[in-house]
Amino acid sequence: MTSLTDSTDVMTEEDELTGLYVYAIVADEPDRVPASLVGLDGSPVELVRHGRVAAVVGRMALDRPPGRRADLMAHSGVLDALDASGPVVPVQFGTVLPDRDAVVDDVLDPDVARWTALLEALSGRRQFNLRATYNQAAVLQEVVAEHREVAELRERTRDLPEDLAHPDRIRLGELVARAVDAKREDDAAMVMELVLPHVVSYAPRHGKGIDQVLDVAFLVDDDRRGAFEDALESVAEAWHERIRFQLVGPVPPYDFVEGDWWV
Amino acid sequence: MTVASQRRGGGYLERPAPSGLADVVEVILDKGIVIDAYVRVSLVGIELLTIDARIVIASVDTYLRFAEATNRLDLYEKGGKDLTEAIGDLQEGGASKKTSGAVKGVKKALTGGDDDEDGPRKRPAKKASRSRRSQEA
Repeated sequence: MTSLTDSTDVMTEEDELTGLYVYAIVADEPDRVPASLVGLDGSPVELVRHGRVAAVVGRMALDRPPGRRADLMAHSGVLDALDASGPVVPVQFGTVLPDRDAVVDDVLDPDVARWTALLEALSGRRQFNLRATYNQAAVLQEVVAEHREVAELRERTRDLPEDLAHPDRIRLGELVARAVDAKREDDAAMVMELVLPHVVSYAPRHGKGIDQVLDVAFLVDDDRRGAFEDALESVAEAWHERIRFQLVGPVPPYDFVEGDWWV
Repeated sequence: MTVASQRRGGGYLERPAPSGLADVVEVILDKGIVIDAYVRVSLVGIELLTIDARIVIASVDTYLRFAEATNRLDLYEKGGKDLTEAIGDLQEGGASKKTSGAVKGVKKALTGGDDDEDGPRKRPAKKASRSRRSQEA
Protein backbone atom coordinates (compact mmCIF):
# COMPACT_ATOMS: atom_id res chain seq x y z
CA MET A 1 0.00 0.00 0.00
CA THR A 2 3.00 2.32 0.15
CA SER A 3 2.50 3.34 -3.44
CA LEU A 4 -0.83 4.88 -2.50
CA THR A 5 0.88 7.80 -0.88
CA ASP A 6 2.15 8.88 -4.26
CA SER A 7 -1.31 9.73 -5.46
CA THR A 8 -3.18 12.80 -4.30
CA ASP A 9 -6.31 10.93 -5.30
CA VAL A 10 -6.20 8.80 -2.19
CA MET A 11 -5.38 11.55 0.26
CA THR A 12 -8.08 13.54 1.97
CA GLU A 13 -7.48 16.99 3.29
CA GLU A 14 -6.99 15.47 6.71
CA ASP A 15 -4.28 13.31 5.21
CA GLU A 16 -6.12 10.09 6.01
CA LEU A 17 -5.84 7.03 3.84
CA THR A 18 -8.95 6.42 1.79
CA GLY A 19 -9.88 4.14 -1.07
CA LEU A 20 -12.63 3.86 -3.62
CA TYR A 21 -15.34 1.42 -2.73
CA VAL A 22 -16.76 -0.10 -5.92
CA TYR A 23 -20.50 -0.83 -5.91
CA ALA A 24 -21.39 -1.69 -9.45
CA ILE A 25 -20.89 -1.18 -13.16
CA VAL A 26 -23.54 0.60 -15.19
CA ALA A 27 -23.95 2.00 -18.68
CA ASP A 28 -22.50 5.51 -18.92
CA GLU A 29 -25.70 7.39 -19.65
CA PRO A 30 -26.97 10.81 -18.56
CA ASP A 31 -28.73 10.72 -15.19
CA ARG A 32 -28.00 7.05 -14.73
CA VAL A 33 -27.28 7.53 -11.02
CA PRO A 34 -29.64 9.41 -8.68
CA ALA A 35 -27.94 12.66 -7.72
CA SER A 36 -28.39 12.36 -3.96
CA LEU A 37 -27.31 8.74 -3.66
CA VAL A 38 -24.96 8.04 -0.75
CA GLY A 39 -23.21 4.83 0.25
CA LEU A 40 -20.73 3.62 2.86
CA ASP A 41 -19.71 6.20 5.43
CA GLY A 42 -22.45 8.41 4.04
CA SER A 43 -20.17 9.27 1.14
CA PRO A 44 -21.84 10.37 -2.08
CA VAL A 45 -21.45 7.94 -4.94
CA GLU A 46 -19.44 9.01 -7.97
CA LEU A 47 -18.95 7.68 -11.46
CA VAL A 48 -15.66 6.58 -12.96
CA ARG A 49 -16.37 6.71 -16.69
CA HIS A 50 -14.66 4.72 -19.35
CA GLY A 51 -16.00 4.26 -22.84
CA ARG A 52 -19.64 3.25 -22.73
CA VAL A 53 -19.55 2.00 -19.16
CA ALA A 54 -18.97 3.50 -15.74
CA ALA A 55 -18.10 2.21 -12.30
CA VAL A 56 -20.21 3.46 -9.42
CA VAL A 57 -17.82 4.20 -6.57
CA GLY A 58 -17.63 6.02 -3.27
CA ARG A 59 -14.77 7.20 -1.13
CA MET A 60 -14.13 5.16 1.98
CA ALA A 61 -11.78 5.60 4.93
CA LEU A 62 -9.46 2.63 5.36
CA ASP A 63 -8.56 3.24 8.98
CA ARG A 64 -11.39 1.47 10.72
CA PRO A 65 -12.55 -2.10 11.24
CA PRO A 66 -14.35 -3.00 8.03
CA GLY A 67 -17.45 -5.03 7.36
CA ARG A 68 -19.85 -3.33 9.71
CA ARG A 69 -23.57 -3.86 9.48
CA ALA A 70 -24.01 -0.32 8.27
CA ASP A 71 -21.59 -1.06 5.43
CA LEU A 72 -23.63 -3.99 4.25
CA MET A 73 -26.88 -2.06 4.42
CA ALA A 74 -25.32 0.86 2.58
CA HIS A 75 -24.00 -1.41 -0.16
CA SER A 76 -27.43 -2.97 -0.50
CA GLY A 77 -29.13 0.42 -0.59
CA VAL A 78 -26.92 1.72 -3.40
CA LEU A 79 -27.47 -1.42 -5.45
CA ASP A 80 -31.23 -1.26 -4.94
CA ALA A 81 -31.32 2.35 -6.12
CA LEU A 82 -29.27 1.52 -9.21
CA ASP A 83 -31.36 -1.55 -9.96
CA ALA A 84 -34.55 0.47 -9.81
CA SER A 85 -33.37 2.79 -12.56
CA GLY A 86 -31.72 0.54 -15.11
CA PRO A 87 -29.48 -2.46 -15.74
CA VAL A 88 -26.69 -2.88 -13.22
CA VAL A 89 -23.79 -5.28 -12.73
CA PRO A 90 -23.27 -5.65 -8.96
CA VAL A 91 -19.71 -5.91 -7.70
CA GLN A 92 -19.13 -8.17 -4.75
CA PHE A 93 -19.49 -6.58 -1.33
CA GLY A 94 -16.25 -5.31 0.12
CA THR A 95 -14.36 -4.36 -3.03
CA VAL A 96 -12.08 -1.36 -2.53
CA LEU A 97 -9.50 -0.02 -4.99
CA PRO A 98 -6.91 2.67 -4.33
CA ASP A 99 -7.96 5.31 -6.84
CA ARG A 100 -9.80 6.18 -10.05
CA ASP A 101 -6.92 5.04 -12.23
CA ALA A 102 -7.05 1.60 -10.68
CA VAL A 103 -10.80 1.39 -11.31
CA VAL A 104 -10.25 2.14 -14.99
CA ASP A 105 -7.14 0.02 -15.43
CA ASP A 106 -8.14 -3.00 -13.35
CA VAL A 107 -11.93 -3.12 -13.65
CA LEU A 108 -13.35 -1.26 -16.63
CA ASP A 109 -10.74 -1.25 -19.40
CA PRO A 110 -9.80 -4.96 -19.44
CA ASP A 111 -13.43 -6.04 -19.82
CA VAL A 112 -15.34 -3.27 -21.56
CA ALA A 113 -16.87 -5.70 -24.05
CA ARG A 114 -17.95 -8.04 -21.25
CA TRP A 115 -19.58 -5.26 -19.22
CA THR A 116 -21.36 -3.88 -22.25
CA ALA A 117 -22.71 -7.27 -23.26
CA LEU A 118 -23.79 -8.07 -19.71
CA LEU A 119 -25.58 -4.75 -19.28
CA GLU A 120 -27.43 -5.25 -22.57
CA ALA A 121 -28.40 -8.78 -21.58
CA LEU A 122 -29.72 -7.59 -18.22
CA SER A 123 -31.76 -4.78 -19.75
CA GLY A 124 -35.48 -5.21 -19.16
CA ARG A 125 -34.91 -8.14 -16.81
CA ARG A 126 -35.01 -8.44 -13.02
CA GLN A 127 -33.94 -11.01 -10.49
CA PHE A 128 -36.32 -12.70 -8.07
CA ASN A 129 -35.33 -15.08 -5.27
CA LEU A 130 -37.69 -17.92 -4.49
CA ARG A 131 -37.53 -19.89 -1.29
CA ALA A 132 -39.86 -22.81 -0.73
CA THR A 133 -39.91 -24.35 2.74
CA TYR A 134 -41.74 -27.38 4.04
CA ASN A 135 -44.28 -27.20 6.76
CA GLN A 136 -42.39 -29.85 8.68
CA ALA A 137 -45.38 -31.27 10.52
CA ALA A 138 -47.38 -31.62 7.32
CA VAL A 139 -44.60 -33.27 5.37
CA LEU A 140 -43.67 -35.59 8.24
CA GLN A 141 -47.28 -36.68 8.46
CA GLU A 142 -47.19 -37.46 4.76
CA VAL A 143 -44.08 -39.55 5.30
CA VAL A 144 -45.67 -41.46 8.19
CA ALA A 145 -48.75 -42.10 6.10
CA GLU A 146 -46.84 -43.22 3.03
CA HIS A 147 -44.20 -45.46 4.59
CA ARG A 148 -45.30 -48.44 6.62
CA GLU A 149 -41.87 -48.99 8.19
CA VAL A 150 -41.74 -45.36 9.32
CA ALA A 151 -45.14 -45.68 10.93
CA GLU A 152 -44.11 -48.88 12.71
CA LEU A 153 -40.81 -47.48 13.93
CA ARG A 154 -42.57 -44.38 15.11
CA GLU A 155 -44.97 -46.45 17.19
CA ARG A 156 -42.11 -48.43 18.62
CA THR A 157 -39.84 -45.50 19.52
CA ARG A 158 -42.09 -42.69 20.59
CA ASP A 159 -42.15 -43.66 24.24
CA LEU A 160 -38.39 -44.10 24.52
CA PRO A 161 -36.51 -41.49 26.54
CA GLU A 162 -35.80 -38.54 24.28
CA ASP A 163 -32.08 -38.55 24.84
CA LEU A 164 -31.65 -42.19 23.96
CA ALA A 165 -29.92 -42.82 20.63
CA HIS A 166 -31.66 -46.12 20.16
CA PRO A 167 -30.91 -47.97 16.89
CA ASP A 168 -34.60 -47.96 16.03
CA ARG A 169 -34.73 -44.23 16.48
CA ILE A 170 -31.70 -43.71 14.25
CA ARG A 171 -33.28 -46.01 11.68
CA LEU A 172 -36.52 -44.04 11.90
CA GLY A 173 -34.70 -40.76 11.40
CA GLU A 174 -32.72 -42.13 8.49
CA LEU A 175 -35.86 -43.40 6.74
CA VAL A 176 -37.63 -40.10 7.32
CA ALA A 177 -34.64 -38.11 6.09
CA ARG A 178 -34.52 -40.17 2.90
CA ALA A 179 -38.24 -39.89 2.36
CA VAL A 180 -38.12 -36.12 2.80
CA ASP A 181 -35.20 -35.94 0.38
CA ALA A 182 -37.21 -37.83 -2.21
CA LYS A 183 -40.18 -35.53 -1.67
CA ARG A 184 -37.95 -32.49 -1.96
CA GLU A 185 -36.61 -33.70 -5.26
CA ASP A 186 -40.06 -34.37 -6.68
CA ASP A 187 -41.63 -31.18 -5.36
CA ALA A 188 -38.73 -29.01 -6.49
CA ALA A 189 -38.84 -30.54 -9.96
CA MET A 190 -42.54 -29.85 -10.25
CA VAL A 191 -42.19 -26.23 -9.20
CA MET A 192 -39.35 -25.70 -11.65
CA GLU A 193 -41.36 -27.29 -14.45
CA LEU A 194 -44.17 -24.80 -13.81
CA VAL A 195 -41.92 -21.77 -13.58
CA LEU A 196 -39.22 -22.32 -16.17
CA PRO A 197 -41.37 -21.41 -19.19
CA HIS A 198 -41.63 -17.89 -17.77
CA VAL A 199 -37.99 -17.14 -16.93
CA VAL A 200 -34.83 -16.29 -18.83
CA SER A 201 -32.58 -18.26 -16.52
CA TYR A 202 -32.18 -19.55 -13.01
CA ALA A 203 -29.36 -20.12 -10.53
CA PRO A 204 -29.41 -22.24 -7.37
CA ARG A 205 -28.66 -20.23 -4.24
CA HIS A 206 -27.55 -21.45 -0.81
CA GLY A 207 -29.93 -24.35 -0.41
CA LYS A 208 -29.63 -27.29 1.98
CA GLY A 209 -31.77 -26.25 4.92
CA ILE A 210 -33.35 -29.25 6.60
CA ASP A 211 -36.86 -28.14 5.66
CA GLN A 212 -35.98 -26.45 2.42
CA VAL A 213 -37.57 -27.41 -0.88
CA LEU A 214 -36.03 -24.79 -3.15
CA ASP A 215 -33.74 -21.80 -2.88
CA VAL A 216 -33.23 -20.41 -6.34
CA ALA A 217 -32.75 -17.13 -8.17
CA PHE A 218 -34.67 -16.41 -11.36
CA LEU A 219 -34.00 -13.86 -14.03
CA VAL A 220 -37.31 -12.70 -15.47
CA ASP A 221 -38.18 -10.53 -18.44
CA ASP A 222 -40.28 -7.54 -17.37
CA ASP A 223 -43.07 -8.53 -19.73
CA ARG A 224 -43.20 -12.09 -18.35
CA ARG A 225 -43.28 -11.06 -14.75
CA GLY A 226 -47.05 -11.37 -14.44
CA ALA A 227 -47.08 -14.90 -15.84
CA PHE A 228 -44.14 -15.83 -13.63
CA GLU A 229 -45.86 -14.57 -10.49
CA ASP A 230 -49.16 -16.17 -11.48
CA ALA A 231 -47.48 -19.55 -11.94
CA LEU A 232 -45.93 -19.30 -8.48
CA GLU A 233 -49.18 -18.13 -6.93
CA SER A 234 -50.94 -21.17 -8.37
CA VAL A 235 -48.52 -23.66 -6.92
CA ALA A 236 -48.34 -21.75 -3.63
CA GLU A 237 -52.11 -21.97 -3.35
CA ALA A 238 -52.29 -25.64 -4.27
CA TRP A 239 -49.61 -26.57 -1.74
CA HIS A 240 -50.17 -23.93 0.89
CA GLU A 241 -50.67 -26.40 3.71
CA ARG A 242 -47.43 -28.24 3.09
CA ILE A 243 -45.03 -25.73 1.52
CA ARG A 244 -44.46 -22.06 2.23
CA PHE A 245 -43.44 -20.01 -0.81
CA GLN A 246 -41.60 -16.75 -0.39
CA LEU A 247 -40.63 -14.61 -3.35
CA VAL A 248 -38.21 -11.74 -2.82
CA GLY A 249 -37.70 -9.18 -5.49
CA PRO A 250 -37.06 -7.63 -7.77
CA VAL A 251 -33.52 -7.46 -6.45
CA PRO A 252 -30.33 -6.48 -8.30
CA PRO A 253 -29.09 -9.35 -10.49
CA TYR A 254 -26.51 -10.55 -7.98
CA ASP A 255 -26.73 -14.13 -9.17
CA PHE A 256 -26.48 -13.47 -12.90
CA VAL A 257 -23.31 -11.47 -13.39
CA GLU A 258 -20.45 -13.80 -12.58
CA GLY A 259 -19.76 -15.40 -15.94
CA ASP A 260 -21.99 -15.19 -18.99
CA TRP A 261 -23.30 -18.75 -18.88
CA TRP A 262 -26.92 -17.70 -19.08
CA VAL A 263 -26.66 -15.03 -21.78
CA MET B 1 -34.12 -4.07 -0.60
CA THR B 2 -36.66 -3.07 -3.10
CA VAL B 3 -40.14 -3.27 -1.73
CA ALA B 4 -42.07 -5.44 -4.09
CA SER B 5 -45.58 -4.36 -4.81
CA GLN B 6 -47.96 -7.19 -4.22
CA ARG B 7 -49.98 -7.87 -7.30
CA ARG B 8 -53.02 -8.92 -5.39
CA GLY B 9 -53.86 -9.00 -1.74
CA GLY B 10 -54.16 -12.20 0.24
CA GLY B 11 -52.15 -14.38 -2.11
CA TYR B 12 -50.56 -17.58 -0.91
CA LEU B 13 -47.26 -16.54 -2.44
CA GLU B 14 -45.58 -14.50 0.28
CA ARG B 15 -43.78 -11.35 -0.85
CA PRO B 16 -41.49 -10.34 1.99
CA ALA B 17 -39.50 -7.13 1.63
CA PRO B 18 -36.15 -7.87 3.25
CA SER B 19 -35.00 -5.08 5.48
CA GLY B 20 -32.96 -6.52 8.30
CA LEU B 21 -29.30 -7.37 8.18
CA ALA B 22 -29.82 -11.12 7.96
CA ASP B 23 -32.13 -10.69 4.97
CA VAL B 24 -29.66 -8.45 3.22
CA VAL B 25 -26.79 -10.83 3.90
CA GLU B 26 -28.90 -13.59 2.48
CA VAL B 27 -29.43 -11.70 -0.76
CA ILE B 28 -25.98 -10.27 -1.38
CA LEU B 29 -23.45 -12.44 0.42
CA ASP B 30 -20.77 -13.75 -1.92
CA LYS B 31 -22.70 -12.49 -4.91
CA GLY B 32 -21.67 -10.10 -7.65
CA ILE B 33 -18.65 -9.57 -9.83
CA VAL B 34 -15.41 -10.55 -8.13
CA ILE B 35 -12.61 -8.10 -8.76
CA ASP B 36 -9.05 -8.71 -7.76
CA ALA B 37 -9.21 -5.81 -5.38
CA TYR B 38 -6.36 -4.27 -3.46
CA VAL B 39 -8.40 -4.38 -0.29
CA ARG B 40 -11.22 -6.71 0.46
CA VAL B 41 -13.47 -5.75 3.30
CA SER B 42 -13.72 -8.52 5.83
CA LEU B 43 -16.99 -10.26 6.52
CA VAL B 44 -15.94 -11.54 9.90
CA GLY B 45 -18.87 -11.40 12.25
CA ILE B 46 -21.45 -11.23 9.52
CA GLU B 47 -21.12 -14.75 8.20
CA LEU B 48 -22.14 -16.17 11.54
CA LEU B 49 -25.67 -14.91 11.02
CA THR B 50 -26.31 -17.17 8.07
CA ILE B 51 -25.16 -20.44 9.54
CA ASP B 52 -28.48 -21.45 11.06
CA ALA B 53 -29.97 -22.25 7.66
CA ARG B 54 -27.20 -24.58 6.59
CA ILE B 55 -28.01 -27.84 8.27
CA VAL B 56 -26.93 -30.62 6.02
CA ILE B 57 -28.85 -33.85 6.04
CA ALA B 58 -26.11 -36.42 6.49
CA SER B 59 -25.52 -37.31 10.09
CA VAL B 60 -26.85 -39.42 12.87
CA ASP B 61 -27.53 -36.23 14.71
CA THR B 62 -29.81 -35.14 11.91
CA TYR B 63 -31.50 -38.51 11.85
CA LEU B 64 -32.21 -38.20 15.54
CA ARG B 65 -33.74 -34.80 15.00
CA PHE B 66 -35.99 -36.18 12.30
CA ALA B 67 -36.94 -39.08 14.53
CA GLU B 68 -37.74 -36.74 17.38
CA ALA B 69 -39.87 -34.51 15.18
CA THR B 70 -41.68 -37.52 13.80
CA ASN B 71 -42.29 -38.89 17.27
CA ARG B 72 -43.75 -35.58 18.32
CA LEU B 73 -46.25 -35.19 15.53
CA ASP B 74 -49.69 -34.18 16.60
CA LEU B 75 -50.97 -37.61 15.66
CA TYR B 76 -49.67 -38.71 19.01
CA GLU B 77 -51.44 -36.03 20.96
CA LYS B 78 -54.90 -36.75 19.69
CA GLY B 79 -55.88 -38.63 22.78
CA GLY B 80 -55.88 -42.34 22.17
CA LYS B 81 -56.54 -42.52 18.49
CA ASP B 82 -54.52 -45.19 16.85
CA LEU B 83 -52.35 -44.50 13.88
CA THR B 84 -54.78 -45.79 11.30
CA GLU B 85 -57.48 -43.39 12.40
CA ALA B 86 -55.02 -40.56 12.55
CA ILE B 87 -53.83 -41.23 9.05
CA GLY B 88 -57.42 -41.32 7.92
CA ASP B 89 -57.83 -37.83 9.31
CA LEU B 90 -54.69 -36.75 7.56
CA GLN B 91 -55.92 -37.97 4.22
CA GLU B 92 -59.13 -36.03 4.68
CA GLY B 93 -57.12 -32.92 5.28
CA GLY B 94 -58.17 -32.54 8.90
CA ALA B 95 -54.81 -33.11 10.46
CA SER B 96 -52.96 -30.87 8.08
CA LYS B 97 -55.35 -28.04 8.82
CA LYS B 98 -54.75 -28.51 12.47
CA THR B 99 -51.00 -28.35 12.11
CA SER B 100 -50.74 -25.65 9.51
CA GLY B 101 -48.35 -22.95 10.49
CA ALA B 102 -46.12 -25.37 12.30
CA VAL B 103 -42.99 -24.56 10.36
CA LYS B 104 -41.38 -22.47 13.00
CA GLY B 105 -42.23 -24.67 15.91
CA VAL B 106 -41.02 -27.84 14.31
CA LYS B 107 -37.95 -26.16 12.94
CA LYS B 108 -37.11 -25.21 16.48
CA ALA B 109 -37.65 -28.77 17.55
CA LEU B 110 -35.38 -29.94 14.80
CA THR B 111 -32.70 -27.48 15.65
CA GLY B 112 -32.78 -28.00 19.38
CA GLY B 113 -34.94 -25.07 20.39
CA ASP B 114 -36.63 -25.23 23.74
CA ASP B 115 -40.17 -24.15 23.03
CA ASP B 116 -41.19 -26.97 20.76
CA GLU B 117 -43.96 -28.15 23.05
CA ASP B 118 -46.27 -25.36 22.06
CA GLY B 119 -44.63 -24.69 18.73
CA PRO B 120 -47.03 -26.47 16.42
CA ARG B 121 -50.00 -24.53 17.74
CA LYS B 122 -48.28 -21.29 18.19
CA ARG B 123 -48.79 -19.39 15.00
CA PRO B 124 -52.43 -19.01 14.13
CA ALA B 125 -51.68 -15.96 12.05
CA LYS B 126 -52.00 -15.86 8.34
CA LYS B 127 -52.26 -19.37 7.08
CA ALA B 128 -54.33 -21.01 9.77
CA SER B 129 -57.19 -18.68 8.95
CA ARG B 130 -57.41 -19.78 5.35
CA SER B 131 -60.62 -21.45 4.46
CA ARG B 132 -59.55 -23.00 1.22
CA ARG B 133 -57.77 -26.29 1.35
CA SER B 134 -55.04 -27.84 -0.64
CA GLN B 135 -55.95 -30.39 -3.27
CA GLU B 136 -52.67 -32.17 -2.77
CA ALA B 137 -52.34 -32.24 0.96
